[in-house]
Formats: sequence, C-alpha cells, structure tokens
Amino acid sequence: MKKKRIVSYIAAVILLAAVIAGYSYYKGQTEKRQLEEAKKNEITGVEDLPGRKIGVQMGTTGDTYAKDYEGDESGTSVERFNKGTDAVQALKVGKIDCVIIDILTAEAFVEKNKELKILEEEFTNEDYAICVDKSNTELKEKINGALQELREDGTLQQISDYYTGAEEVKGKNPYRMMQDVKRDNGTLSMATNAEFPPYEYFDKGEIVGADVDMMQAVCDRLGMTLEIQNMEFDAIITAVESGKADVGAAGMTVTEDRLKSIDFTDSYTNSKQVIIVKDFALSAKKQSLRESLYDNFIKDNRYEYLLKGFGNTLLITLFAVLIGILLGLLIALVRTGYDRNGSMPVLNLLCRIYLTVVRGTPAVVQLLIIYYVILTSVHNKILVAVIAFGLNSAAYVAEVIRSGIMSVDIGQFEAGRSLGLNYHQTMVSIIIPQAVKNILPALCNEFIVLLKETSISGYIGLMDLTKGGDIIRSITYEAYVPLYAVALIYLVTVMLLSAGVNCLEKRLRKSER
Amino acid sequence: MDELIEVRDLYKSFGNHKVLKGLNIKVSKGEVIAVIGPSGCGKSTFLRSLNLLERPTSGKIFFEGTDITDESVDINKVREKMGMVFQQFNLFPNMTVRENIMLAPVKCGKMKAEEAAVKAEELLARIGLLDKAGAYPSQLSGGQKQRIAIIRALAMNPDVMLFDEPTSALDPEMVGEVLELMRELAAEGMTMIVVTHEMGFAREVASRILFVNDGGIQEDNDPKELFANPKTPRLKEFLAKVL
Repeated sequence: MKKKRIVSYIAAVILLAAVIAGYSYYKGQTEKRQLEEAKKNEITGVEDLPGRKIGVQMGTTGDTYAKDYEGDESGTSVERFNKGTDAVQALKVGKIDCVIIDILTAEAFVEKNKELKILEEEFTNEDYAICVDKSNTELKEKINGALQELREDGTLQQISDYYTGAEEVKGKNPYRMMQDVKRDNGTLSMATNAEFPPYEYFDKGEIVGADVDMMQAVCDRLGMTLEIQNMEFDAIITAVESGKADVGAAGMTVTEDRLKSIDFTDSYTNSKQVIIVKDFALSAKKQSLRESLYDNFIKDNRYEYLLKGFGNTLLITLFAVLIGILLGLLIALVRTGYDRNGSMPVLNLLCRIYLTVVRGTPAVVQLLIIYYVILTSVHNKILVAVIAFGLNSAAYVAEVIRSGIMSVDIGQFEAGRSLGLNYHQTMVSIIIPQAVKNILPALCNEFIVLLKETSISGYIGLMDLTKGGDIIRSITYEAYVPLYAVALIYLVTVMLLSAGVNCLEKRLRKSER
Repeated sequence: MDELIEVRDLYKSFGNHKVLKGLNIKVSKGEVIAVIGPSGCGKSTFLRSLNLLERPTSGKIFFEGTDITDESVDINKVREKMGMVFQQFNLFPNMTVRENIMLAPVKCGKMKAEEAAVKAEELLARIGLLDKAGAYPSQLSGGQKQRIAIIRALAMNPDVMLFDEPTSALDPEMVGEVLELMRELAAEGMTMIVVTHEMGFAREVASRILFVNDGGIQEDNDPKELFANPKTPRLKEFLAKVL
C-alpha cells in the first residue's frame, strides 16, 4: 500500500519533469518561428502602431494614450498589465509587439534586458504630480508649498539627477533624509506601486526610488513621518479616496478622468512616454539555470520575499480556516435546526442570504470590497485578508458540514433525543462527531482550495507567496524560475496537508472496525 | 391499578396521508402490552407518538398525569422516563459500549461519571457482556447490539419501555436472546409497550394485546381471548396469515 503510493509519487514527478522538458523544447521551436515572423513586422516609429498588439501598464498614461488606437479599423489591440514588468515579459516572449511606458522606466527595463530597445521617436510628453483627496485642500496647499521650496533650493533637481541624470551626475549624490527634523505633525501615508523603476521599486526588500525620495523631502519640510503602502497601480486612487492613504505618488500624470475622482498637486517632474520593442539585431544571451537560480533567489537575499510571503500565506490560511470552521459550524447548525425543527426562521433566512451572496461572487471581489469599502479604517492587511477569506470559507464549510450532518442516519438523532438529550446535546455529542468523520475529505479539500485562494491577496498589496514571487519577477525580469518556485511551494504544501489528513482519517475510521 | 399513560383522540397525518385517526388507550403501571397489526397500519407511529418523536396532529397524551403535548412541558425530562428501543438498534458507532450506556445519564445530569460507569458495568454484567464494555458497536453481533440498546435505555431508570419492532432486524438465531431479556424485564414488573411481529412472544409474555388497523385500535384484549376469539374479520384474516 505504502510502496504503491511512493511509486505513484515518483511517477508523478517524472511525468512532470518530462512535460516541462518537452514543453521547453516546443517553446524553443515556436520562439524561433515567432522571431522570424516578428522580424517581418518590426515597429520603427509611432506610425507603425496601428494593427499591432500594444502592451501598457493598466491605468498609466501610456494606457490613456494607447486607448486612442484601440479598436480602430486596422485591428489594434491594447493589452493591459498590472505591472510594467509583466508587459515587458510579454514583449520578450512575443505575446505583444511593443510596450508604451515612461522613458525612465523604459531605460531601466532596457538596461536589464539587452534584447529590448527604445525607439528614438517619443510617444508623448507628460507631467507627474501627487494625488490628494479632493476634500483635503489643506494638505494639497502644504505639499505645494514644500514642492516650491524644494524646487527653489535644487532638491528636486538633485533627486532627478541621482536617478535619471546624465552619466556624470547619475548615482552620485543621493537625497538623504534629514535627521534633525522634529516630526510632530503626524504621519503622511503614501500609496504607491513599487513596480515602476526608477520612480518606485523594491531594492533589498525596501521600496525606494525618485518618488520616495521626493516624498521624503516633502515630509522633511512638513515635519511629518513618511509611511509607504504598496499596492496595484489602479488601486492607488481608490486608496486615497477612501482614506486608506493620504497621498498617491507613483509617476502619475494629471488626466481629466483622474481629476473626476481626485485632486493633484503641482507637478514635481516631467517625463516622456516611449515605445519599447524587441531589438532583433541582438539575439539575447540565454542565462544558465544556475545563474538564473542565483539571480532569483540568492542575490540580495531575494529568497526572503518567498519566505516572508509563504509565512503570510500560511498565517492567513490558518486563521481563515479557524474562522471558517467556527462560523461555518454555526451556520450549519442554524440551517439544520431549521430543517429539522423549524426553529430560528429569521436567522436561517439571514444565513441563506449570506451563503447565496458569498458563493455567488468571486473571492477577489469580496476581498476588495472588504478592504476598500467595509474595513476602511483597518490598516492591518493580514487581518483584513484573514477576515475576508474566513468569511468566504465559512460559506463553503457551512454547506459541507450541513451535508455531513444530513448524512448521519436520522435514527442516531432519534436515539439521542429518546434518551432525554436535548437538541443541542444530541448534535454535539452524537451527530457532529460522526458528521465530521464523514466530511473530513471534503473539508480538507476546502482548505486546500483556501490555501491556493489566498494567492489573490496581492490585490490589496499584501505580500503573500504569489506576490513574493511577483516581486522577484519584477526585479529580475524573469518569469520561468520564480513562477515555478512559487508553484512548487504550493504543491508541496498541499501534498503535505493531504497526507496529514489521510492519517487523521485513518485514525478516526478505527472506531468503525 | 395506577394509570401511567392515557392517549385521547390521537390524530397524526403526514401531509394528506392520515395515519392515526382518533386513537384512544389507557396503560397502567406494570402492564406488558403487545401492539400487533398489518404493516402500514400506524402501530409504529402510535408508539413514536408516545414520546413525541412524532408530534401528534391533534389529541392529548397524558404521562403520569401530565399532558405532554402541552408546549410548556419539557419533553426532554419526560423522555428520560420513557426508554425506547429501535428496530435498527441505533447504537452510537463512534462510542464504545460503555460510553453508549453512560452518555445519557451523565449528560442529563442524572448521575456523575463514576456512578454511571458503575451502573453500566452492572447492566453489562447482567446480560453477560461485561467483556464488551470497551468494544465499539461494529464489533458486536446484532443480538448483542440490541441487548445493549435495551440496557442503554434502562440506565436512565425509565418508568416505561417502548419497543419498536425490536427483533425485526435480527438474524433468526439472535431473536431468542433479545426476547429472553425482554421476558426478564416483564417478569420484574417493568411497564412495556412492544410493537412486534413475534406472535409467540405476544401470546406468552404480554398481559394485553392491541390490534391496530386503519389508524385506530380495533381490538384490545388479553392474549388468550384475542387469539382464541378474534371478533373482527380483519383480525381473523391477520391471524390466519401470521400464525
């Protein structure tokens, strides 16, 4: 029995390896073909854009302008990515023809991806500003005042030179946070999207960049403490509007659409949007697997993103499971109580509405609603995720437990009641222990689903395992290794969980033999 | 004689299907009553109504002077005094034999755990199954299961025992041991109401036999008289089939 299982595990691993190897070969072949095709259709300037697949980062200026091309007669399509990195990766593997993005970001990308190049012809020119909630004019005025001072004393120029200046000034004179400032005017919470170098990006586990330095300088002037919140780019405005953050600074351009929901300070820098394409003159040098592993995990201790993320994933799952079981059991008891005795009809109705709503909407939408609409005053993202996933899981667990209770022979219930036990005692002492045994596999399955479901935590900027992998991906511009690593960690965890439950199940079954 | 149970005008319907149509009966302490009748006649429903496992559609049931169909009566307290034995035994498969017997006395606050354990062992010793105290129900034969189900009910010291076809699910060679235990109980003066197809047992042990048909009690007589002189043609027909 045990041997058989080991053999089947080994077989599964071998099969997996074979599939990956086969796929890699197939990929190599198709890449060659795609390359030849793409060469024929090379983009050399803005006039070549119609009819192509344009990649942009969702919600950025590039997105706004690319929209003008979308759906024209020549069939131009715009692919919107959550991150600039994703767009660049898509370009590298030939899923899109070009990426429209901020010039400084583009330069950072191209520097690390030698097979890409920036077209000389600019796409547009734009100004960046900080967004503030419309009602918060006082803060806006204060920031404008600080920006004015920073412009006059050359600090803004210093920051811009450090990150994006010409060869002789770049990287030479960084802005240093003032130490002797009294910070008694509270915290300034800044929402950003650390996927946008050189304005904001992760370096050694910290969010850094031109926008971060600029905001630090503003805080130094205002006597405030800077607090940074990382989230998806298209979530920044919502976060500022809902009061989750005071300001948003993420290389944002003032657009008419944005002005409808949010206000902007004066511009602190300007930038150009450019087009990145594949440079077919240079064929990319492939990294060896060893180099790749080193780059993705060892260098700068990048494995810590995965480790920390995995810790968060486990933490969220564990507590969500607890909420799920407790709340699910309560709901199941109310529902079966109503089915058997007709008791608590109002509560039963509420439970049914709850089940319908939770099971009828996607978990990611529930998570966003709970974070941005319901629990706006809660800043602990893990707590929000635990609540959201717990509430979600409870609905599924409730139905699993209910089916388990229903599956216990009615005679057991009658025997308990006929002995003088009340409904509650009968349920707790007789029915539920038998029900749990019946539903253990289904319950375990539910929790495995939950473990994987938490991978959407990144939507609220929480670094879980998936997000940890994403951050590595955004630093190394490599999809293959980080994604497989993340998948492997999930797989192993799930297999361990399943094995544990099998053991438990066997022990529980003993009483019936 | 002390009156223990009185049923007045008991009606019970499941949806449109009328099962009991105005049933009346009085039971005195110490009586052993066998309830016989064709299948589907309502004899099980009648028995299950006595401890309100089935809620009557209308009618009253008095137990020791109290109308237990009254909403204000704590039915759990009443059930403590009415032991019930089921056709399918309904032992709790997740508990040992000892735990099965101890559960209700302890949970209902009648005994402390130690007392209940002593009581369980006494009862098990009585039926010669003390060595099975730690076993799970799945390790027992049908006859053993049913005898344990009977002493599980006895552990609550009930005033009346209700048996719902206690031998119908047993292999023929195990019927004897269960009937033997019931015979002993009857001899000790326990009030019993037994729905059964065992005519031999009814004739020999019962002090009174009810013939239920068409939702009511059609004949109510002592065994000798009932078997020797059935008054209604329906009972004659029934006896001709089962004897």
